[in-house]
Amino acid sequence: MEADTQAHVAFFLTGRRPSQHLDAVDGLKLRPALFAGYRELTQLRYDFPLVLVAQPSNKLFVQSLSGIVDAALSTAARGSNAERIRKHALRMEQEIRVLVAGGASGSLSTLWDKAATRLARDSDNTLADSLRRTRKAITTDGELADCDAALPARLLQHAWSAVQKQKSEDFRKDLDRLVLKLSDILKADFQRSEAGRSAKHLKEAVGSGFDNAFDFDAMSQLLAKALPKDAFPESRRKRIRELLAVLGAQQFYRSADAAPKKGTAKPYSFLFDSCAGALAAFRERMPKLIELARAIAVAELEIDGQYSESKHDALFEQFGANGLDPQDLAPFPDYLVCVSAEKMLPEEQSQLMEILSSGLPIKVLLQIDDILEEATGGEGNLAAGMRSRQIANMAIGLNEVYVLQSSSSNLYRFREPMLRGLAYRGPALFSVYSGANAKASDLPPYLMSAAAMESRAFPAFTYDPSAGANWAARFYLEANSQVDLDWPVQGFAYENEEHQRVSEDLAFTLVDFFASDRRYARHLARVPREKWNGSMIPVDESLSRERKGLPDKVPSLLMVDADNVLQRVIVDERLIREARRCREMWHSLQELGGVHNSHAEKLLARERSAWEERMKQEAEAHAEAAPVAAASAPAASATAAVAVEEEAERSPDEAYIETPRCSTCNECTTLNSKMFAYDNNKQAYIADINAGTYAQLVEAAESCQVSIIHPGKPRNPNEPGLEELLKRAEPFL
Amino acid sequence: MNMMSDMNSATACLLQMTDEHFQLEDYQSGVPRWCTGCGDNAILAAVQRLCRDEALRPEKTVFVSGIGCSSRFPHYMKTYGFHGIHGRALPVAEGVKMARPDLTVFVNTGDGDCTSIGAAHWIHAIRYNMNLTVFLHDNQIYGLTKKQASPTSPIGTKSNTTPRGSYLEALNPLTVTLGVQNVSFVAQAADWIPEVLFDIVKAAYHHRGLSFVRIIQRCPEWLPKALDPWMHDPNKVLLLNHANGLQASAGLSRVYKNQIEHDPLNIDRAREIASDTETIPVGILYNNPAVPCYEDLRQSDKLRTADLTRAGLNAELDKYTVWPQGAEQKVA
Repeated sequence: MEADTQAHVAFFLTGRRPSQHLDAVDGLKLRPALFAGYRELTQLRYDFPLVLVAQPSNKLFVQSLSGIVDAALSTAARGSNAERIRKHALRMEQEIRVLVAGGASGSLSTLWDKAATRLARDSDNTLADSLRRTRKAITTDGELADCDAALPARLLQHAWSAVQKQKSEDFRKDLDRLVLKLSDILKADFQRSEAGRSAKHLKEAVGSGFDNAFDFDAMSQLLAKALPKDAFPESRRKRIRELLAVLGAQQFYRSADAAPKKGTAKPYSFLFDSCAGALAAFRERMPKLIELARAIAVAELEIDGQYSESKHDALFEQFGANGLDPQDLAPFPDYLVCVSAEKMLPEEQSQLMEILSSGLPIKVLLQIDDILEEATGGEGNLAAGMRSRQIANMAIGLNEVYVLQSSSSNLYRFREPMLRGLAYRGPALFSVYSGANAKASDLPPYLMSAAAMESRAFPAFTYDPSAGANWAARFYLEANSQVDLDWPVQGFAYENEEHQRVSEDLAFTLVDFFASDRRYARHLARVPREKWNGSMIPVDESLSRERKGLPDKVPSLLMVDADNVLQRVIVDERLIREARRCREMWHSLQELGGVHNSHAEKLLARERSAWEERMKQEAEAHAEAAPVAAASAPAASATAAVAVEEEAERSPDEAYIETPRCSTCNECTTLNSKMFAYDNNKQAYIADINAGTYAQLVEAAESCQVSIIHPGKPRNPNEPGLEELLKRAEPFL
Repeated sequence: MNMMSDMNSATACLLQMTDEHFQLEDYQSGVPRWCTGCGDNAILAAVQRLCRDEALRPEKTVFVSGIGCSSRFPHYMKTYGFHGIHGRALPVAEGVKMARPDLTVFVNTGDGDCTSIGAAHWIHAIRYNMNLTVFLHDNQIYGLTKKQASPTSPIGTKSNTTPRGSYLEALNPLTVTLGVQNVSFVAQAADWIPEVLFDIVKAAYHHRGLSFVRIIQRCPEWLPKALDPWMHDPNKVLLLNHANGLQASAGLSRVYKNQIEHDPLNIDRAREIASDTETIPVGILYNNPAVPCYEDLRQSDKLRTADLTRAGLNAELDKYTVWPQGAEQKVA
């Protein structure tokens, strides 16, 4: 072994740099090679900053700035000036991005104006024209939010407020209706009462215009004679008054009046910064909530005149004694708790688990700013972010918690899952990695969080118990890039010493993510260019090698320094061990998400071997039968054997056409010319089974004039209406 | 190397330079306007296959037709074609063959075109026995004019002209043909058995004389169910086998078990088989290569050049010329 390689292996095993040819990476400002292109984020077009839409509608509570600009351009940039307007609008977008990155905050419109004045300084009036036209096409406005430490809480609170506002409106409408109807009942009762039929009241009711035309005393006497037979029971009157009092005193939603009357209690707040607080508030408000829910239920019955004291009194006496089910809780506000994983104390954590496991309508945002922190074990014990990930995994295990895990770079793409989580009846956990830990890394939070997701350190997924009964419906992992691979692979191109373009595929592994954090610098060592040799292999390759005895290859990374010069860095064994662990965790997530599912693969292997066995037996049976036939009729048996073989190859599950019998009638090719094609005798065959649906196969089989299309079994189990299709396909199998 | 290219070598040698490797698409012209599911498509495919396999050069091939769905056939062949007038496909084809015996002439005609308005021409064309290949596309209905009964419509067929069902027993083109003197080749095919259809088309092409092929053809638009009993019950199809005729393949025999041996030279047996309307006989009913062709009997010994044609025409026209005075000497 060469001396250099020996030194590399020594570093790999011990983490010490014995030779002067291995440099410490501190201060070199290295970043993973794949990040070379993302040095200046303000120059790039990406999802951020986001616009938190000021008047959120049903689904639309957030939009990306680039999305808004694109939408505006699609209407504004038309005609001969289109290209000019597009250029100016994009420059504007970039200017806003620069402003936001510089720390400016405010709504889109204020920042737009600010950026416009900045741009106007050195440009002509065509710019003003372009911007005016683009601005006119922008219909939304709202606060701008960049990808920073505050983003997860801001975004989720914004979404939550939008959902609560809608809920509040619905609830108010319902409540107002109840109050109005109940008041009407009381009013009607009064009209029939003694006082209601008094001359004074009748006069008031008619108004002053007809004072002389009417004799209200006579009318009152007349009415008094027609006494209603069934009197309004006092108990009902009392009950309705009580209901009205309860409905009027509710504190769960802000009342409709702009300025609440004195004496009415202030509405509750549902936003908390600790699990304990939320839990305490929930318990404290429980009696009030039950009272209100009961009042609503009774009021509905009263309005319909269905309330019967003998039947319902006892029933409502016990109302809510066993707690309320999610159905009853649904109209009431949800609680939102925003906590930080780093500051979380053990008691707080147990409160969180209580919230999640008890099915309360509490939504929890668990924000993680640093997943690379070292565990309390200290030196050598790298439990990277395991604590925060534990919580999400445990929550999934609870089976009825909506769990969303994502890094903040991906939150915009997860806006709909976010709304689904907020609408979910029951607890929801939003575990978000913000990437904002300035003291550990030179990279902006957006890149850090994107890297965490890309490197499988913090995979994005959602678990939605309301989506269906099984994992396939509930678990969604596809948001991660290249979900079926261990590590995502990206193309990377650079210029070598001879000024030639070199491109290779690089896997982005957990080690790349670690390497962007300066606390891990001691696990890395830069190898000077003249010492590069073949024993340095990429990390992903090293991970897939089985190690026996002393290693002869050392894992290495490609990185770039501040001047965008390519550097090679070797990695010690601890990081590799960590990466291996991360890969195992990713594998188990993949299985949950249905990628490389071991159960399915096991089943498939079993079925395949059984099928092969069967085929082998059949082939042997043919081999035995063939010589007999050959003896009797040599000429005929040859063709017959060929025909039999052809038939044996056909499984009834496989779709096929008896091509020689095709009468070229164009039925199937008209139906789908990609799926069905003609051979060089102009007779149909299945050219591409994936080019169409099973429904089309069945339809083709039905319309085939000579019934030679056999649709087999469906290939896509999710195709709608399969049951009916299978029935239709039966005669053609 | 096949027999026909040897026989045509007199003209073929000049054209040897052209590419002889044809694809099916080389014979396809335009997109057929026939309904989806129409049996005409199957006939087109079989004929194009024949052209490709026999390497028929498009410029030496003519398709002549009359009027009807079937008669749109020449439009879809990238060869010469003549879309004639109703019922007159055969006389036109005979004229073509008479003037240009070096061409391969096919005739596509329908049940209405051939057996109704063109019936007289049909009978005499059989007696003349010129070297033509005639395909009778028999769908038992007038399809192009949207459903009127034709002579081959089965009794009781409800159509626009026979709303209470047709009154007459259907005409049987096979027995009629087999009853005419000088008949030399009669076969029947069904469009839903493309393998036999192609074999028959091929045999008909190779027969020297008038080959009459009746092709029973479905009309999915106007008589969608009419042939279902025969299509869905393979035993109602009778395959005719013979060493001098066709031999059903193994694959075909598995489906169509109802087969008999029939010598294509036995015209009495052919007439008997043809009269059976319960089952559909499929195969070569009659094939007698010994019957003389009209063009052979009347072949002129003069070479038909342009000058000869002009001189003949002039002589003919001169019979009606009114000569100016004093011109007699010139003529003499």
